[in-house]
Amino acid sequence: MTTLAIKAGNLSRTYTGEGAPVTVFSGLSFELPEGVFAAVMGPSGVGKSTLLHLIGGIDRPDTGRVEVFGESLAEMTPRSRARFRNERIGFVFQFHHLLPEFTAEENVAFPERIAGATPRQAQRRARELLDRVGLSDRGHHGARALSGGEQQRVAIARALARSPSLLLADEPTGNLDAAAAQAVFALLRELHAERGMTTVLVTHNPDLANRCDRLFTMSREGIAASPRLSERG
Amino acid sequence: MRFETFVALRYLVASRRRAHVALIATISIVGLAVGVAALIVSLALLSGFQDRIRRQMMERSAHLRVSPARGARLADAERVRQALDRLPGVAAVSPAIEGRAWASDAGGATAAAVPVRYRNAPAGLTDESGPAARVTASLAARVHVGEGDSMRLTSSRMRLTPIGLIPVAVIARVDGVQRTGALEKSAEVEVSEETARVLSGMTAGAAAYEARLRDPRQAAAAARSAQRALGPEYRVETWRELNAPLAFALRLEKAVIFVTVALVILVAALNIVSNIALTVVEKKRDLGVFTAMGAAPGSLERIYLTLGGVIGIAGTGIGVLLGVGLSVALDRFRLVPLPTDVYLLSHVPFAVHPGEVAAVAGFALATALAAAVLPARSAARLAPGEAIRLSR
Repeated sequence: MTTLAIKAGNLSRTYTGEGAPVTVFSGLSFELPEGVFAAVMGPSGVGKSTLLHLIGGIDRPDTGRVEVFGESLAEMTPRSRARFRNERIGFVFQFHHLLPEFTAEENVAFPERIAGATPRQAQRRARELLDRVGLSDRGHHGARALSGGEQQRVAIARALARSPSLLLADEPTGNLDAAAAQAVFALLRELHAERGMTTVLVTHNPDLANRCDRLFTMSREGIAASPRLSERG
Repeated sequence: MRFETFVALRYLVASRRRAHVALIATISIVGLAVGVAALIVSLALLSGFQDRIRRQMMERSAHLRVSPARGARLADAERVRQALDRLPGVAAVSPAIEGRAWASDAGGATAAAVPVRYRNAPAGLTDESGPAARVTASLAARVHVGEGDSMRLTSSRMRLTPIGLIPVAVIARVDGVQRTGALEKSAEVEVSEETARVLSGMTAGAAAYEARLRDPRQAAAAARSAQRALGPEYRVETWRELNAPLAFALRLEKAVIFVTVALVILVAALNIVSNIALTVVEKKRDLGVFTAMGAAPGSLERIYLTLGGVIGIAGTGIGVLLGVGLSVALDRFRLVPLPTDVYLLSHVPFAVHPGEVAAVAGFALATALAAAVLPARSAARLAPGEAIRLSR
């Protein structure tokens, strides 16, 4: 029997800000088995990032329920949800979101430090990961001193710091040129295979999406599994 | 170093690159330092004067005084004297013979006699060449007498003579004029024990017995021992209790100055609030990212509390160094001179009390931390998903 990594049912999310409330999606359900490398595509504004945030527990749905590896995020206390995120979920964002006051190595060391590791332990782990993503010589550079591709590789190393079971990557190649995008995608695939993670990749790039294990398409109506190019008749 | 401390310190150091944040951080630290230094110097100034007043209190007041719980004179004066003599640390025991009289110049040139309190001098006054008296400077001025002049002391006690009742009076030579600053009571005359007995009619015994201790700080313990030995018929008071109204006034004065000058620290705390609130807004995206990495809301709150604490420690540390250094220099090099004929002192004294410095530092640190609480809580309540979504 296949175990589900993600089980989200009847999700809805409306943002209330200065203007009129904006409903991003309503009644959305999504399931993903463990160990799958899935791509989510869809036009801008349909809520792809919001879906990742809800799965990762950094946002809360107005209705519906999210279970990650069988654990309901809504039933956790803020503290236990934070620990769960730290131990089991890695995030990679489109704009890398490296912290500019810190070096690449310090950025990668943060998840370990948040978990309570000593600075020395966290530093050792960060060096290993930077080495793994091919940036062992860039550890002491500030985030602004790195190229776009390098910044995204540092962000990937940071997301993998605690060896998460689930990697949520929100358009990690969206801001990169074609060659850098290919390199980052290849790295993500390698790491996915190497670590047996479940990976959800939001992308606008059909070429990359078609190279994932599964492809989902999001629209105003919801999210549905789509056949990949190779599967179409 | 904890994760929260690491981040807070880096934010503070890196704020140099963000000129507006760096400016507010600098103003916060300097404001706090100025407030702390001002408070320390103000308290040192007060302590300088108050220490002198307390020293005078210890020098001039009896350290222990035993009087009857009821009545005007001691029922068993000898027993009281012996009990005081037996106390450890007692340097001298003397009876207190006192009463009310009127003072005037011996020739009667003063228009009206001045009501005074007289009492026997603790030491150093003898009647070898006739009755002698020591008067306060203000009384000497009112009665128009100086050292070597004679003055008339007319007791409230009457005596029977062939021509009827007449008040007991003594012509005394002014042996000394005392200037005692804050402790000076307007109309007090010290006479020898013998003259005091003549004026009061108390040929034996005493209204009270007084003792001087080798270490006045042991007065409370000595008073307890004396009270145990003498029982409840006697009232035993220490020099602190005898001067309680003045001591209360000194404490009140210090409290008022503390509260007033501490307002500078509160204003500096408002700068800390704006500094941290600004950093929370500027680092909203970072907070979202930290949350995504697994930082709990309490952890985010601690980052900003630590930031407030670091600003507090820096401001307080600089302020303490500045305040203590300035106070010590002002006192050691006598930088604020005073006209000695008016103030009895050649310069304004400053005395730094470690307990007061600790209280000021504690207050400043607590204020800085309290100032950080509100913005820190707002950081903990931040919606991380929204912070990341809006920072694209």
